[in-house]
Amino acid sequence: MQTLDIISVNLWQILISLANLLIIFLILKKFLYKPVKKVMEERRQAIDSDYSEAAEAKRQALSDKKAYEEKLSGANGEAERIIRSAVEAASFREKEMMDEARAKADGILRKAEADVVLERKKAEADIRREIVEVSTLVSEKMLRREMSADDHKRLVDSFIDSIGDGDEAE
Amino acid sequence: MNEKSLRFRIVDALYVAMMALPILCALVIQILTKAPGEGISITGAQIFFTLPMPLQPLPITTAQVNTWLVMISILGLCLYMTHGLTVRARLRRQLLCEWIIEKTEAMVKESMGDFFSGYAPFIASILALSAFSSLLSLFGLNPPTSDINVVAGWAILVFILITYYKLKGGFLNYLKGFTEPIFIMTPLNILGEVATPVSMAFRHYGNVLSGSVIAVLIAAALQGLSSLILGWLPGGLGEIPFFQIGLPAILSLYFDIFSGLMQAYIFAMLTMLNISGAFPQDEYEKRKQKKLLKNKK
Repeated sequence: MQTLDIISVNLWQILISLANLLIIFLILKKFLYKPVKKVMEERRQAIDSDYSEAAEAKRQALSDKKAYEEKLSGANGEAERIIRSAVEAASFREKEMMDEARAKADGILRKAEADVVLERKKAEADIRREIVEVSTLVSEKMLRREMSADDHKRLVDSFIDSIGDGDEAE
Repeated sequence: MNEKSLRFRIVDALYVAMMALPILCALVIQILTKAPGEGISITGAQIFFTLPMPLQPLPITTAQVNTWLVMISILGLCLYMTHGLTVRARLRRQLLCEWIIEKTEAMVKESMGDFFSGYAPFIASILALSAFSSLLSLFGLNPPTSDINVVAGWAILVFILITYYKLKGGFLNYLKGFTEPIFIMTPLNILGEVATPVSMAFRHYGNVLSGSVIAVLIAAALQGLSSLILGWLPGGLGEIPFFQIGLPAILSLYFDIFSGLMQAYIFAMLTMLNISGAFPQDEYEKRKQKKLLKNKK
């Protein structure tokens, strides 16, 4: 087998070698740099989006927390307001009820008094009517038979007594 | 994609085969074609066949074949490394290739500036091709970088890039650059321009080749020493070059691994410095501004 001299310059071999380097350059660019850089870029984007998502979530959480705190303090005030108004309403209602009850009691009392007065008047009227009847009766009896003044008086007294007895008996 | 699935593993195995088979293939070719060495022989690459071409016939040698095999191997490595990339980076190989990419981009940015940040794949390809080619000598193969033509091709590509970026400052400025600092310096400046690729090529090629030459010389010297001192041993025992055990391995550590990687790094470094040094940033900015103004008018 033949061999080259230790230094032998050949134009075509130089060109082949030049082309070889270019081909290796293209191979490395296409099969090593491009895919790996693509993946690295994807990772960078994923990390970026993760970070922005995290920041967004943190912001959201903070605003939520603020809103809750506001709501909580608002709720305290609200509760106080509700209690106050409830107390007011209750006291108002209590007063109203008391007034109503008092008025009702007054009414009952007044009615009772009126009843009593009416009854008395009725009783008085009854008594008067009875007295009138009785005196009429007595007058008839007196007219039917003459009586002495004493008799008359006695009679009237006894009658009245009897009435009083009768009343007591009743 | 599930990295535990059978399909994934089969594809992985195919990529690994794509990495390993070219090297195996190169070994087989070497074993089948290499003429049995007789004593010390320091020669260039073996010629498999010669193609008739205009200007100069093209001999296809081990340097070319090994370069192509290394390229296939690198392609397999790339495919293997980028197989199963995920955003979460579940595979260790993904971390490795991300590390490689970040390191090369940082290196390019540091020594070339932001304008050349797209040069990372090019520098990485120089590093990979040079390093893997030189490391072929670990397998006892002929490293393509010990052939001047291979490295000269790369250096000429670098020279083309250097000139391209020098021309970015304007053709007249490029020509004027040769007359600086004074007119008499012009021939020296032209020489210096040509010297850049030549020095790059010779530095790389010379280092790798000298490593191989020294390895051969030392192996031969140790064989001679061995037969001189241990030649009295009975039977075939005296024929065995015992002294060749050990020392060549340690030297190979330096000449094959350290020197190979070092030269790849130096070549890449010089490429970066020369290309970025050739680019006249201020002049380029000025011209750009002028063009913008013209377009506005």
